[in-house]
Amino acid sequence: MISPSQERALWTAVVGVPLLFAAIAALQIKIDAGAQAYHGEDEQLLLRSASAVRRMSFGYDALAADFYWTRTVQYYGSHAGIPGAKFDQLWPLLDITTTLDPKLIVAYRFGAVFLSEPPPAGAERTDLAVQLVKRGMAENPENWYLPSDLGFLYYWRLKDYRAASEAYLAGSKIPGAPSWMRIMAALVAQRGGSLETSRMIWTEIYNSTQDKTVRQRAITTVRGLRALEDEQQLDALAQEYRTRMGHFPASSNDLHDAGLVRGIPVDPDGFPYIFGTDGKSQLDPRSSVTISPGLQLPSDAAQ
Amino acid sequence: MSATIGPVAVNTFREAVRDRVLYNLVLFALLMIGAAILVGQVSIGIEQLVIVNLGLTAISLFGLVMSIFIGVGLVYKEIERRTLYSLLAKPIHRWQFLVGKYAGLLLTLGVNTAFMTLGLAAAFFFVGGRVARADVSILVAIYFILLEFALVTALALFFSCFSSPMLSTLFTLGIYITGVFANDIHEVGEFTQNAAVLWLTRAIYFVIPNFHNLNAIAAAGHKEAIPLSLIWQNTLYAVLYATLLLIAAAAVFSRRNLK
Repeated sequence: MISPSQERALWTAVVGVPLLFAAIAALQIKIDAGAQAYHGEDEQLLLRSASAVRRMSFGYDALAADFYWTRTVQYYGSHAGIPGAKFDQLWPLLDITTTLDPKLIVAYRFGAVFLSEPPPAGAERTDLAVQLVKRGMAENPENWYLPSDLGFLYYWRLKDYRAASEAYLAGSKIPGAPSWMRIMAALVAQRGGSLETSRMIWTEIYNSTQDKTVRQRAITTVRGLRALEDEQQLDALAQEYRTRMGHFPASSNDLHDAGLVRGIPVDPDGFPYIFGTDGKSQLDPRSSVTISPGLQLPSDAAQ
Repeated sequence: MSATIGPVAVNTFREAVRDRVLYNLVLFALLMIGAAILVGQVSIGIEQLVIVNLGLTAISLFGLVMSIFIGVGLVYKEIERRTLYSLLAKPIHRWQFLVGKYAGLLLTLGVNTAFMTLGLAAAFFFVGGRVARADVSILVAIYFILLEFALVTALALFFSCFSSPMLSTLFTLGIYITGVFANDIHEVGEFTQNAAVLWLTRAIYFVIPNFHNLNAIAAAGHKEAIPLSLIWQNTLYAVLYATLLLIAAAAVFSRRNLK
């Protein structure tokens, strides 16, 4: 039997608790809105020393590394794609993560991508990315993915084809390494920055990861590379068209009508390429294919 | 001998199981393991790794809390409630009482660890983990955690034989933390190249129980093979050290004036 006072208390709780929670949530939203105005870039790492963090984890280094890696991913995710964003905490976070768990391969691999991507997608610190991957290689000499990533950094970001070839060759000697690494070493050494080689690397990145974000990035890049390759060929054909006709083609149909191409050249999305008044081929504005600035090769390599 | 130690151990186990704090701790550990699934979702490439790391850390942390807080009260509670006097009036030696208490708490910790391991396995399978031969390192890491409990419980029991629960907790925690950093302390001595400091750090290194060697969480997370030699060496180390502590505890407790 519930007494009247107990019943009153019960109803007060049933009504009062949800109401107070709602009020607290509304207040929190107001506080957040106000805080944004004066917090801005409120990003400080309390501890930047990796060894200090390791000691403070009281032997639970592995779990601390997981949390630092998660924090790294969150940090990167909250900055990537924002014009003018700085990635000041990226290196310290990766440094702490890999010191806490030197076997955390994923931190070396994706960390190098985060560091090396040009803005706004990354910190454009390929020097640190190389340092990170080399550290990973020293800690995990049995892992062939890391020399493969190092080769990629030298090849794609630094255009140091000799160093890239050496990295691929070193990786190919690790037991279990796939045969394509030796091929890559040869290709990079011979042809430098060819689009075909780039596509091969990105295809391999796609095949070697299960992560959806990275796979999507690989697909986007491969599609962009194919479009870039198409544009290079179309630009050359446009020049030939001009030699014959005295003016640049207005559309892909003109090239077809002139017998320079068999069909109508389309991008990976299925849209025909369009031409500017300068004879340069372009993607249709409706196409979802993107050729990011990072895909543009230096003039000597593109030739 | 087992006829006297056994009932004490079983009663200690029953008493611990009746204590609701135990259930809360196990529930909390299971919640932490569940949280690992969420952490895996917001990170990249560590979904299964974080489950193993967080699960093993939860098992270790909550087991340690149980070892210390129940361990320091094993003897103290019996004296406070005056149940010890009626017990010692029976044909049982004081050392048998201590060993029985110790075995009972180890049994409790073993059962709790088994439940938490089941929770970890459930979380592991939930995210699509498949059992491979290399996963045996997870079981080895759990075994090492149990050895860690055996040492910490023996430490707590030893201190509780001559000091209050509060002081026993502080002593046990202090020695545990020192033992976690045993290798760092040893390295500091080597680094300073000062003979006195070197002697001191070496003394600490060999006297304090080395908990660093019993930490195989990172290796289990990366499915690294743990050498068989390390398994038997750690087992022997824990058995020897726990025996040493129980002998010392029995010596202190047998001389203690309980009036």
